[in-house]
Formats: sequence, structure tokens, C-alpha cells
Amino acid sequence: MRSTYGVVLPGMDLENLPGKLIVIEGTDGVGRSTQIGLLKPWLEQQGRAVVDTGMTRSKLAGKGIKQAKQGHTLGRVTLSLFYATDFADRLENEIVPALRAGFVVLTDRYIYSLIARAVVRGIEPAWIRNVYSFALVPDAVFYLRIGVEDLIPRVVFSTGFDYWESGMDLHPSEDMYDSFHKYQTALLAQFENLVEEYQFRVIDAGQDIPAVFEELRKGISGVLADHDQAPGPTAPEVPIEKTAPGGSPRVENKAAGS
Amino acid sequence: MEGIDGSGKSTQLTLLHQWLRAEGYGTVFSEWNSSPLVRDITRRGKKKKMLTPASFCLIHATDFADRMEHNILPLLKAGAVVLCDRYIYTAFARDVARGMDPAWVRELYAFAVKPTLAFYFRVPLDVAMKRLMNGRSGFKFYEAGMDLGLSGDPVESFELFQGQILKEYEKMVNEFELTVVDATLPIEEQQSRMRQLVKAKLAQAKRLRVAP
Repeated sequence: MRSTYGVVLPGMDLENLPGKLIVIEGTDGVGRSTQIGLLKPWLEQQGRAVVDTGMTRSKLAGKGIKQAKQGHTLGRVTLSLFYATDFADRLENEIVPALRAGFVVLTDRYIYSLIARAVVRGIEPAWIRNVYSFALVPDAVFYLRIGVEDLIPRVVFSTGFDYWESGMDLHPSEDMYDSFHKYQTALLAQFENLVEEYQFRVIDAGQDIPAVFEELRKGISGVLADHDQAPGPTAPEVPIEKTAPGGSPRVENKAAGS
Repeated sequence: MEGIDGSGKSTQLTLLHQWLRAEGYGTVFSEWNSSPLVRDITRRGKKKKMLTPASFCLIHATDFADRMEHNILPLLKAGAVVLCDRYIYTAFARDVARGMDPAWVRELYAFAVKPTLAFYFRVPLDVAMKRLMNGRSGFKFYEAGMDLGLSGDPVESFELFQGQILKEYEKMVNEFELTVVDATLPIEEQQSRMRQLVKAKLAQAKRLRVAP
């Protein structure tokens, strides 16, 4: 039987969810969607039915979040809860039905990005973990790890700096580059805090696309072959390197009262 | 102001508002489920019956957070008296009646400011139903708790759902030290008691030199 990180939502039957829930995590611009674009046809070639999903794609709240973010006027608690609404809608209406039907659910980000982003914005870590404690524990979380220095050229040469991905809401007086550097450094440190807690399997995303793809394929093949094992993340196969940005950032002004 | 539909809390709120204004206090009204940010989503979600207990709960929490961050907190900082028609206790009552975990929902709203005073208008279900049936033609889907499948008849479903909510309110009286108002008393009596209690708490509120 599957488990959640705490509470179980009303009406959610955790039995008979034979599909696999595979999470690709990593910061903005690290290449998650490129890899998912490769993984989906690869899985389908093996006869696996795949559903891919990602943040702000819920029917209920996806559009609303995008519109609200354009205005740049969202409070930090509000933004976190808006994302949680989107996530709950996708979990109940997309992820769970697909798992029930035996699909492989490939999700571009999961609760971990949402937790990391919220904590960087000063939200209390325990509070945001409780919010997402209704989430299903996935079969595996692949974390694409990158250092901020390697990340910057990728972002600049692909999409350019985005307001939110640069944390401009946190450093409005900075230019986009400085803000991006600061924000992503803080965000990556938050991700590092989650690696052990949520048993991420770490993949060095500094490698080229085919190399990352190969590691993902290997990892996912292992998860899919594991029929007998109860769902739930297992110990990381790839050793965790200690090259990631150290230190943990603290945004002092708290939005969430305790 | 908390209580089930038909408890008369809106009537009392209006009277309290008038009085506070006349006394020269900067007084602002904040209504449940009124943030412009998520209004359209909530409306669409309800209309299309897309909301589950979880998304119903979270969309209302988002609405409340927006009002807290952009409206209630700044107003309190400015020294205003903020009158809330429903507060977090409404969420606790409704969401738990819909099957959400009580401790989880309480923690979800941990960012809410603890109110200076929280009035709970206690009324028996049949009295509230009688009041409501006088002025209303029907109940909406979620309002009647039709999503819970308690009954196919909206009025019956509403009554059953309100009964559940009433039970949840009663559990909260001690937990959150709600000030209970006997909502079966004459309107003036309830109001005069409320005014006394509110007056005792107004020392820090800003009073305008000229009443508006």
C-alpha cells in the first residue's frame, strides 16, 4: 500500500495504486523538461503508458496562478497556498487516477520545489511541510543537481532571466543577474536540505544531456523492475557528492506565524 | 463573528459596525471568501462542481491568506478595528465536516492573527433553519454540502451538513475560547452585551477626531 507524508485526504484510497510515481526535481533551467521530453517516448517504446504533469497545470487553479503572478502582487503565504491548491487538484484528479490505472506518472517537480521556494521566501519550514503532508510518497525522486555557476549560462542562453525564477520579489532593488544569483544560491541550498529528508537520488546535471538521460534511464528501469518492492523511495543509488553549495540561507522576516 | 447560517451573526455585525463608526473608530469589514485574487477560480470551481474537500479547503485558505496579507494585517497595523464576518473557525468547522484532518487544518491556518474577540452565535439547528426558510428559495450545491452525498434533497442535505458544522463549532468553544452569544435572545440584548465586551478591548484602537 502507498503512503503519504502525513494526512490522508478524504476519499483517497491508498490501496490499488499499481502505477509508478516518478519525480524529476531540480531548480529552474536545470533541464528537467528536456529530460522528461526524452523519457516519455523512451518509456512508451517499452509499452509503458505515461502521464506527464507539472506545476500550475491543474484545471482548477493553474491559469489563476499564472495570471496572479503576472501582477507580482501575491503575498508569500498566499502564493504558497495557491500552489498547494493547484497541487491538490492535480494529485486527486490526475496523479491518483493515473496510478490507479497503472500508468507511469512522470512529474516535472513535486512538493519539494514548492517547499524549497516557500522556505527561501521566509515561510516556516515546519508549516509548509505540514501543508504538503497529504502528498503521496513517490516511488523515486531524481534530483538534477547543479551549481549556480553552471546554471547561469544555461538560463541566459535559453530563456533569459524570469522575474520569479530570479527571486525579484525578494530583491526588488537588485538587477536581474544579481538577484538570480542570490536567489538560486539560496534555493539550491534549500534543495540540499531536502536530499536526505526525502531520499532524493542525486544526478549530476552538470553533465551533458545524453549522460543525464542515461543515468535517469538506469534509475527508472530499476524502479520499474522492482515489482515486488513496496512503493516508497529507496536509498540513493548514485552517491551524493559534496560539491553542492553549502550553508543554509535564512530569510529573517517570517511570513508564517507559529 | 462565527456561527452557522441563520444564527443572525450578520445582523449583529452590521449593528456593531454602525456603533463603532458612530463612536469614531476606524472600522473595516472583511468578509469570508471575498479576495478578488481567487474569486473567479472559486466561483468556477463551485459552478462546475470541480472542488473536492481538499481543494475546497485550500482555495478558501488561499483566499483567506490573501485577505490576511493584503488587508487584515495592514489594517490592524494602522490601528483599525477589523470586523470579520466568519474567520478561521468557519474553515475548521466546514473542512472537518468534509472529512479533512482537524489538526492539519488548524496548522494550515497557523498564519492567521489571533482575534481580539471571537464571538460564536449559538443557535439550535431548528431555529436557524426556520429563520433561513423564511427568506430563501434554495441552497447552492456546496453550501448545502451536496458534495458529501448526505442526501439528494438540497434542503435535507443542508440541514444535515449544518448539523455537522454545529457539532464542530461546539468542539471549538473551549479550544479557542470563543465568546458564546445566545443567538436566540432578542437582537438588542445580544447587541448590548457584545458592545460591552468590545468596548473593553478598544483601548489600543485608533479613534478618529471626527466621526465619519
